[in-house]
Amino acid sequence: MPSGANPLLDGLRIEPTPEPTALVIFGASGDLTRRKLLPALYQLARGQRLPARFSVIGVARSAMSDDAFRQQFHDSLKEFAGLANPDEVSTALAANMHYIAGEMDDAGLYERLRATLNDGGAPDGILYYLAIPPAVYGTVVEHLGRARLVTQDDGHGWRRVIVEKPFGTDLESARALNRLLHQHLDESQIFRIDHYLGKETVQNLLVFRFANGMFEPVWNRRYIDHVQITAAETVGVERRASYYEGAGALRDMVQNHLMQVLALIAMEPPIAFSAENVRDRKIDALMSVQPVLDGGDGSVVRAQYGAGWVNGTEVPGYREEEGVAQRSTTETFVALRLQLDSWRWAGVPFYIRSGKRMPKRTTEIAIQFRRPPLHIFKKISPTSVAPNLLVVNVQPDEGISIRFEAKLPGSRMQLAPVMMNFRYGSAFARGVPEAYETLLLDAMLGDPTLFARHDFVEASWALITPVHEAWAASGAM
Amino acid sequence: MTHEKVDTRVFTATVVVVGPQDRLADAAGALEALGEIGVRAILISEGEHSSPPARVAENAITINGLAPRFLNNAVASLRLSSLPALVWWRGGSGEALDDLATLADRLVLDVDAPEEAWRRAPGYFEQTAVTDLRWSRLTRWRSALAHLFDLPPVLESASSFRRLAIDASDPHAARLFAGWLRSRLRWTSDVAIEIAVHEAGGKHVSPLMKVTLEAPNLWISLDRKAGGGCLAATVEGLDASTRIVPLGDGSLASLMAEELGVRTRDAAFEQALTMAQEIAV
Repeated sequence: MPSGANPLLDGLRIEPTPEPTALVIFGASGDLTRRKLLPALYQLARGQRLPARFSVIGVARSAMSDDAFRQQFHDSLKEFAGLANPDEVSTALAANMHYIAGEMDDAGLYERLRATLNDGGAPDGILYYLAIPPAVYGTVVEHLGRARLVTQDDGHGWRRVIVEKPFGTDLESARALNRLLHQHLDESQIFRIDHYLGKETVQNLLVFRFANGMFEPVWNRRYIDHVQITAAETVGVERRASYYEGAGALRDMVQNHLMQVLALIAMEPPIAFSAENVRDRKIDALMSVQPVLDGGDGSVVRAQYGAGWVNGTEVPGYREEEGVAQRSTTETFVALRLQLDSWRWAGVPFYIRSGKRMPKRTTEIAIQFRRPPLHIFKKISPTSVAPNLLVVNVQPDEGISIRFEAKLPGSRMQLAPVMMNFRYGSAFARGVPEAYETLLLDAMLGDPTLFARHDFVEASWALITPVHEAWAASGAM
Repeated sequence: MTHEKVDTRVFTATVVVVGPQDRLADAAGALEALGEIGVRAILISEGEHSSPPARVAENAITINGLAPRFLNNAVASLRLSSLPALVWWRGGSGEALDDLATLADRLVLDVDAPEEAWRRAPGYFEQTAVTDLRWSRLTRWRSALAHLFDLPPVLESASSFRRLAIDASDPHAARLFAGWLRSRLRWTSDVAIEIAVHEAGGKHVSPLMKVTLEAPNLWISLDRKAGGGCLAATVEGLDASTRIVPLGDGSLASLMAEELGVRTRDAAFEQALTMAQEIAV
């Protein structure tokens, strides 16, 4: 018998599973846990992606028994995973769920956590998920550090921490957060989650660009006219006013999600698909973005939604929303024109826009190519030739479309644009996993490729913070 | 003039189904259920005719009663060179199988009594990617067991197993499973292999019911749960652990969707099949 590798995995078209793991969720009674994390764990269990020994320890301020936490798990599956009644997989998963109530600044909480983790033998890996307000990150990480719950000192077993966005509110606070995390954790232990990177279509950007021979040769300033990255939501601020008032579209969407997407489009080819290679090339791309200043030249546009009608229902304007200041200057729409100072992209504008209460919910990347240098059909088909367009639909209806010109059927030579479509939902006989499934699993496997590195976060804030400062100086919207 | 919108499907393969007429209908249904994974189906049942009429539908050609000696000619002329050809063998003469194996990019065996096909199969290994549909039906069972071997104490004990017991509704699937373990774990004949055959029950059809692996200090079981839709994989001994995994729907359509995603030879299957032929029920 050969030692080392698992001989039974040979020939099985399955992915490796993580080592025995305990997942500790801080903020276990919160919305993110119910909506995303617990359903994602269930789907991973169904797909046999969780390790053979796996447990979940929920930590939050609310008093709750283990059984109540398990019931919350079943309730969340009912509401967000369409599982009307517990099945065998969810019941087995729930049996290994525990709950600890306590204040995040109470050292006793961490001793109780240690006891629960060691109950039945310490697992090889412990993944801490900070699904808590950013203001408490420091307290929790500090206590975990002091209690040596994140120490990896024996060469076996790993300790990792997933940090939810926002990673700071500006450059200074992001740097402070990184400093604090690095006091107790090595960068390799920190997994800054940006759920956009867990989306199949976003990951597919790398495959699309670097696993096909036909796109990369034209992926540059010679052939591309401009790039548009759009994240439009139909909903308003809903119940998030208290958060959104201090954030706005630029912090909420652009600084993290859309900058990640921009980097994936603009990056140079990595020499290998490894976390550090990919993240090195992404930071290179981001560093090439020229400073954005709202100097009145139209490079930055901001706006707020007003009152109106959506699907036959009257909806309030942003300033009339509950929890929003009457004279709020928080932007619910922002558009940026970015220039990248690089050999590949010099002179190609990248337009980024994000907004709430837009007519259509869509997140898409549109890459518009230059028109042909000569319109040879202009005499027989006077309508101008539409430029080729490559559209990557991130959500909903994930897929890729290419627009090109075709001859209209008929005796005359007439041109019309047509679309060639690839849709994930129909092309593959398997479901698209939720972003949190992918990211939770990657964190357990120790693969940081789809997580934000500290330098990326800071470089992104370095671009965005001057815009906020300029807005703060100008006052009114 | 109005144009009806036609659903377009991109063909990814030609699937040649050969078998008795009563086994072609569900195969055709499974291929149709693949939806947008477009396949071009050629359905042939054996008979005594040299040129029986072919029934041509949108995505399928059906020929009933073709004499075995003409089978390879028919397939050679109907397959498209631009598409890979998957031969789904649901029964017929051994000679026809030999002929078709030379035309297939992938050969999927799917017969109730596989002895003859299995005996011939090693001869095809160098020409085409061979599998048995039982192998796909065993995927969840194999995955569940393989994941337990991710536990270091289990992996370290892999050479110390002394007994494998399998309760099965399909004895040949059990042989294949045992052959897989024997080849992957390099067992010698001192590991006892016991296969007991039972009637399948419940709405979920699975080839196996229970698998038990015993070592002096470790006991592993894979047990189909009462409802039949899930599998409990348990380790006891050095490291106690249980995980529950769904068995999947196991429909012909989902099995074929899986098969169509594979183009390459499967060394684990080839070795398992070779070993399986040495294991008696």
